[in-house]
Amino acid sequence: MSEKRKFKKRFCKYCEQKVDFIDYKDVASLKYSLSERFKIMPRRLTGNCKRHQDMVTISIKQSRAAALIPYTVSRKVVAGAPFDDRSY
Amino acid sequence: MRHYENLVIVKPTLTEEEIKNTLALVEEVITSNGGEIIGRDAMGMKKLAYPIEKNVRGYFYVMYYTVAPSAISEIERRFRINEEILRFVTMKYDSKREIKAWNTMVEKTKKTVAAAPAPVAPVAETTTEEVAS
Repeated sequence: MSEKRKFKKRFCKYCEQKVDFIDYKDVASLKYSLSERFKIMPRRLTGNCKRHQDMVTISIKQSRAAALIPYTVSRKVVAGAPFDDRSY
Repeated sequence: MRHYENLVIVKPTLTEEEIKNTLALVEEVITSNGGEIIGRDAMGMKKLAYPIEKNVRGYFYVMYYTVAPSAISEIERRFRINEEILRFVTMKYDSKREIKAWNTMVEKTKKTVAAAPAPVAPVAETTTEEVAS
């Protein structure tokens, strides 16, 4: 019996596309590395490599300063997100 | 001369014409300090990620330009004086890789300008995703 591999091997998404520079205005691509509360996701969960993780964190912090991404999201907003239409 | 990028958020309470005027003033600040604006990108009226000075929205405007590095402190000082500007973010593009990215971004703005000749057109964003704050 051969050993079973417990975890799927992850690859850096940015390395595959050969990204050289991450723009802070491109919010859609940064969302990949953000949790639903807009915290920066750790490398072990996203599978980013060290080099690209550093680039992502810098550009996320830049876009926070530019009010494109929130710093924190309150509990109310996170809980209320799926029921946006109700507007309470 | 160094490559820079400036993002400016203008107050949403102003009328269309006032926004135009303040943007002209902002560009005048850069050009009067020896800068050369190469690309402009109006991102339009957007919802802010968090309220700034009790404003929920803002008019986003991005400029790509080259100036001598010594002029940046003066430009930022003039921005701080202007009360119509909620927030500004200055970016420096120094290394080879960054300058390459800067060039591609400038080209992208040129394409969008060619597609839509009216740069100042504050389109009201869809209010469906309104979140109770």
